[in-house]
Amino acid sequence: MNDNELITAVRESVADVYTVTPVAHVISRGRAVRARRRIPAVAGTLAVAAGTALAVTTLLPSGHQGLLGSGHPGRHLATAQLAAWTVAKQVNGDIDITINQLKDPAGLQSTLRADGLPVTVSFSGPPLSASCQPDDTGRDILSAVAHFHTSDGRAYLVIDPSALPSGTGVSIFDEPGAGVPLPSPHTPGHRQGSGSTPPAGITGPLAIGLVFASRQCTG
Amino acid sequence: MGVGTQQLDFAEFYRGAADECLRAVLVSVGDQDTARELVDEAFARAWASWRTVSTHPAPKAWVVRTALNAGISRWRRRRREVPVPDPATLANPPAAGGASARLVDPRIMAAVMRLPARQRQVIALRLILDLDTARTAEVLGIAPGTVMAHLGRAMAALRHDLEPELQQENRS
Repeated sequence: MNDNELITAVRESVADVYTVTPVAHVISRGRAVRARRRIPAVAGTLAVAAGTALAVTTLLPSGHQGLLGSGHPGRHLATAQLAAWTVAKQVNGDIDITINQLKDPAGLQSTLRADGLPVTVSFSGPPLSASCQPDDTGRDILSAVAHFHTSDGRAYLVIDPSALPSGTGVSIFDEPGAGVPLPSPHTPGHRQGSGSTPPAGITGPLAIGLVFASRQCTG
Repeated sequence: MGVGTQQLDFAEFYRGAADECLRAVLVSVGDQDTARELVDEAFARAWASWRTVSTHPAPKAWVVRTALNAGISRWRRRRREVPVPDPATLANPPAAGGASARLVDPRIMAAVMRLPARQRQVIALRLILDLDTARTAEVLGIAPGTVMAHLGRAMAALRHDLEPELQQENRS
């Protein structure tokens, strides 16, 4: 048996093995991988506080003091508050975001943009459009831009716009099915709303990443 | 390159490379279910890093290396042996091995699995993925001469294991 015959025998021994996984499944799994790479603390902790909808349902423009204090120890310069989320700009320029429900991504997006943050927000999976190109930046840079913070039992995503690399923006999106359980509606510090059942369709955590800034993508 | 283009290019790459990568990983780990799981994970990671992988000089090698690394990580996490079947079992495969088990030639697979892990990896990259010696060395992080030495030993061992059987088969 010469080398060629042996090589052929080895190759033919597995020639009938084919992959059966659809590419869509691999891509879906890839999205989960990408989400895991983004701020681990966010993936591990910043899940939607189900059943904590507040009574306030009107979006107040940035610059208004919110109807309810967020509990953050810092002094708020401006707070916009909605049933689903709150945004508070700090003295040092940081932007604190509290997300209680995956609702009104457009409102959150416009509020954050009004505070000077180039951002795209999606509560229906990662932004998938030709104009929103992920910037696979290092974790160190991303951690400088955004980090997770808890205070008084509440969870905040803190974004430092000044740490954004030139030409980049922030992408906030949900990652359904990534496997991180929703927090209990009875978690201390979370206000229990009238509905204690997690809203339908919310099955995973939020993720944050960087994208190349463009008018179409990040405003 | 937009996300839509990214998906398109990745899908094209996946369709063209997945089978070959799966076979290479299978030759290295010996178990089809494990190989499929590792290759799926590796392609998912390739999608997540597609901007890097798509410009890699040998993206299929990147996938196989990632799959093998994932296998090692899993082994470390689970603190147990690398999921390689017992060669004795492979040499006498059970009749009820399932449809997937019959997709491989059990005699040759058993002979491959008797090789040391590094020799199996060289076989996977050189013979299944058809990488050259330099690229194989780069992927495995060893010297080209070491690749040639592993390949030579692996071929000798396989020939020693398989020649009598295959010659017998050819005569009959």
